[in-house]
Amino acid sequence: MTKKLSEKHPRLLGEKGKRFPLLGNEAIARGAIEAGVGLVASYPGTPSSEVPMTLAKLSKDVGYYFEYSTNEKVSFEVAAGAAWSGVRSLVAMKHFGLNVASDSFSPVAYVGIEGGMVMVVADDPQGWSSAQSEQDTRYFGRMMRIPILEPSDPQEALELTKKAFEISEEFKIPFILRTTTKVSHAIETVKLGEIKKAKTKGRFKKNPEQYNNVRPHLQQLHREIDQKLVKINKKYGKKLNKVVPGKGKTGIITTGVSHEYVKEALQKLDLKVPIAKLTLTYPTPKEFISKFIKNKETVLVVEELQPVIENEVNRIAKDINPQIKVHGKNMLPRDGEYNMEIILPVMEKIFKKKLGVNFKKHQKKAEKAMKGIPPRKPVFCAGCPHRSTFYALKEVYGNDEVIYAGDVGCYVLGMFEPYKMQDFMISMGASTGLGHGINKATDQEVVVTIGDSTFFHSAMPGIANYSFNDGEAPLIVVFDNGVTAMTGHQPHPGTGLTGMGEKINPLKIEEVAEALGAEVVIANAYNQKELTKKIKELRNKKTERGPKVLVSKGECRLVTKRKYRRKGVPLIKFQINQDKCKKCGVCTNEFACPAIKEERKKTGDEPKYTIDTQLCLGCSVCSQVCPHNAIKAEKGGKK
Amino acid sequence: MSKEVFDLMLTGVGGEGVLTTGVIITKAAHDEGNFLGGVQLHGLSQRGGSIPTFVRFGSKEKIHSPGIMKTDADLILALEPIEAVKAVEYARKEKTTILINNYPYMPVYGNLQNVAYPTIQNIKKKIKPFAKEVGVIEADKVAEEKLGNIVYGNTIMIGAAIGSKKLPIKKETMKKALKDVVPRGVEKNLKAFELGLKMGKKLK
Repeated sequence: MTKKLSEKHPRLLGEKGKRFPLLGNEAIARGAIEAGVGLVASYPGTPSSEVPMTLAKLSKDVGYYFEYSTNEKVSFEVAAGAAWSGVRSLVAMKHFGLNVASDSFSPVAYVGIEGGMVMVVADDPQGWSSAQSEQDTRYFGRMMRIPILEPSDPQEALELTKKAFEISEEFKIPFILRTTTKVSHAIETVKLGEIKKAKTKGRFKKNPEQYNNVRPHLQQLHREIDQKLVKINKKYGKKLNKVVPGKGKTGIITTGVSHEYVKEALQKLDLKVPIAKLTLTYPTPKEFISKFIKNKETVLVVEELQPVIENEVNRIAKDINPQIKVHGKNMLPRDGEYNMEIILPVMEKIFKKKLGVNFKKHQKKAEKAMKGIPPRKPVFCAGCPHRSTFYALKEVYGNDEVIYAGDVGCYVLGMFEPYKMQDFMISMGASTGLGHGINKATDQEVVVTIGDSTFFHSAMPGIANYSFNDGEAPLIVVFDNGVTAMTGHQPHPGTGLTGMGEKINPLKIEEVAEALGAEVVIANAYNQKELTKKIKELRNKKTERGPKVLVSKGECRLVTKRKYRRKGVPLIKFQINQDKCKKCGVCTNEFACPAIKEERKKTGDEPKYTIDTQLCLGCSVCSQVCPHNAIKAEKGGKK
Repeated sequence: MSKEVFDLMLTGVGGEGVLTTGVIITKAAHDEGNFLGGVQLHGLSQRGGSIPTFVRFGSKEKIHSPGIMKTDADLILALEPIEAVKAVEYARKEKTTILINNYPYMPVYGNLQNVAYPTIQNIKKKIKPFAKEVGVIEADKVAEEKLGNIVYGNTIMIGAAIGSKKLPIKKETMKKALKDVVPRGVEKNLKAFELGLKMGKKLK
């Protein structure tokens, strides 16, 4: 059995003792499989996305249950239900996902679980893949009284995932495995452990006294969870947190990926400094930290984002070693992520030793070289149905003052030039509520733009609210490309597939919206005439009561591209007829498809417009928007 | 297995295959017994933005940081010319080789400012102060002409890096990695690799 699996997936399901390069998120997935996980639920969110993607791919072969749930709260509850029934479960989300799940989070921690339960939460300092805020999940653990393990690299991510299941089950409390982007997306050679056979079925033991947390039982549960944290620290505070020995009266305390930067910086400077590497960061390992700082004169705390550990070190130092100088955020930033260029100079300063690289000077020189190089902002892919939909909206609303209430998904790219059609983006589904508030408090016209996956995730209550409370509701445009595209094409309730690849009857957005009281119109996202006509019609009804929803349907062109490649059929390509082209620039400056090239010999010259047939995905929309009818399909291939 | 660390930076435009190229090289470096480190960023940057991937290999004792320290890259493979300029902060005169695939992706945002795409001579001039050597390779053009699709350009770049002896991985190992990672269309990929090897040899 095991051998077969390792043949089919040599890297991810390799045998015990083998070493392979794994992404941090893949290592977490492997750790869960080694721990015998029986159920996995998730709503995709980068930087955690490859945890569920890997576990989805392997679910049938290994034999555990996997699902993409409609949102993080639901996925958390699905996982908790399994854990209550004695089945080990994992739920993965990005940092904001935890906000959505948090309603159920604290009560489940109070009443406890039976099977081990791990919540993978990936923070995103620097906002590589999230735009809303640099939220620090470690405060959540403290607020909800849930233990946190923080790996610093993929190998440790695998080990700590297993450990989290173990301790979670031992103390009947869910665990947070907290990563950051550079742990989740780091690659490292990882040594694999033994795969434990998954237990996929358990039994829910009725215990209403325990699971209904009402007072006075509530206070009892509160006391219990506090005691659990004390016990966990007592048993694992020293075991899981390690000291890297070194010389001198100055020590460093590290968490997460910061540890790796510190180690490499010290190595470059040829220094051996004592490091306390924290992995079980909550409950605070008070005794472990006390012992480490007791005989030190100076300690530097290196942690990304907020000074969570630093504050605790300061508190502990008051009793243990009030003379000690604690450095941290006085030398290191709270915002953004760390890297060698941030850590190395701090080490040089503290230990008075120089490597001799002047990063600032080098950076200035590099910036000088960058002069005249055009910036490359993210754009809609060639053939994206969202570009087409935004273009039609621009045609209808023109220069009128309209508030574009944006949401979270690929369509956020509408915020960039030349569209600039997103006035704000706050959180999943927030476009509906915010649009409503602005609508009520002003006389301005509002257009809500939201995607299909986000619609199912959290827009439904907002649309019901329009039916409930609104007189004149704004136009709600649903960008329906059939998948959760931005995070890697995961299925959602409207896709027609489950996370394990089973076919289901898809929920139809138009039917759901109608049931919520909306007037619904469907349009083909790849047909400009139809889109503009239908948008105009709905706009004219803006004074009528109730929400109006336009579902703009067009398959994500990357999915289409893949389908055609699999079939071996080439997509049709488009070309610009140079005789007809009047060089108006609509295709590049207003429509802005990356497959259309605008070339000039030197700045200021008259450009030549061509379509890069290698990039063109044949959506045909440029041929519809060209005012001179200069763009036509090439022969061959299918549309 | 090396006792040192080789720091490779791959850069290009999202959707160009930067990640896959990174996965292939990672596989080959691993198969030669190296310890692997690095970063593969996924997310927003995929959609037509700039996207760097770091591949670090060699001794386990020396690889800790997932990212390469600025000024420290041994080799930068730029799958797009202006992305090479954006990568110079990772390069330095004494150490770094920069190989460029001469196939521009005009940034849409650039179009809007009536800016001309910089010439390859201009790009080379900008990069030279940061590199020991700069090589320009017509990878995508050759891929399009000889193999009918620019997707094979990235494999030509890998071939050129090995052919010019700038990427310390054996060709046989790389061929195996190509077969393992991209089994579909492997014949064309191997052809692309051979073309790249030859183009790389000519660079010196």
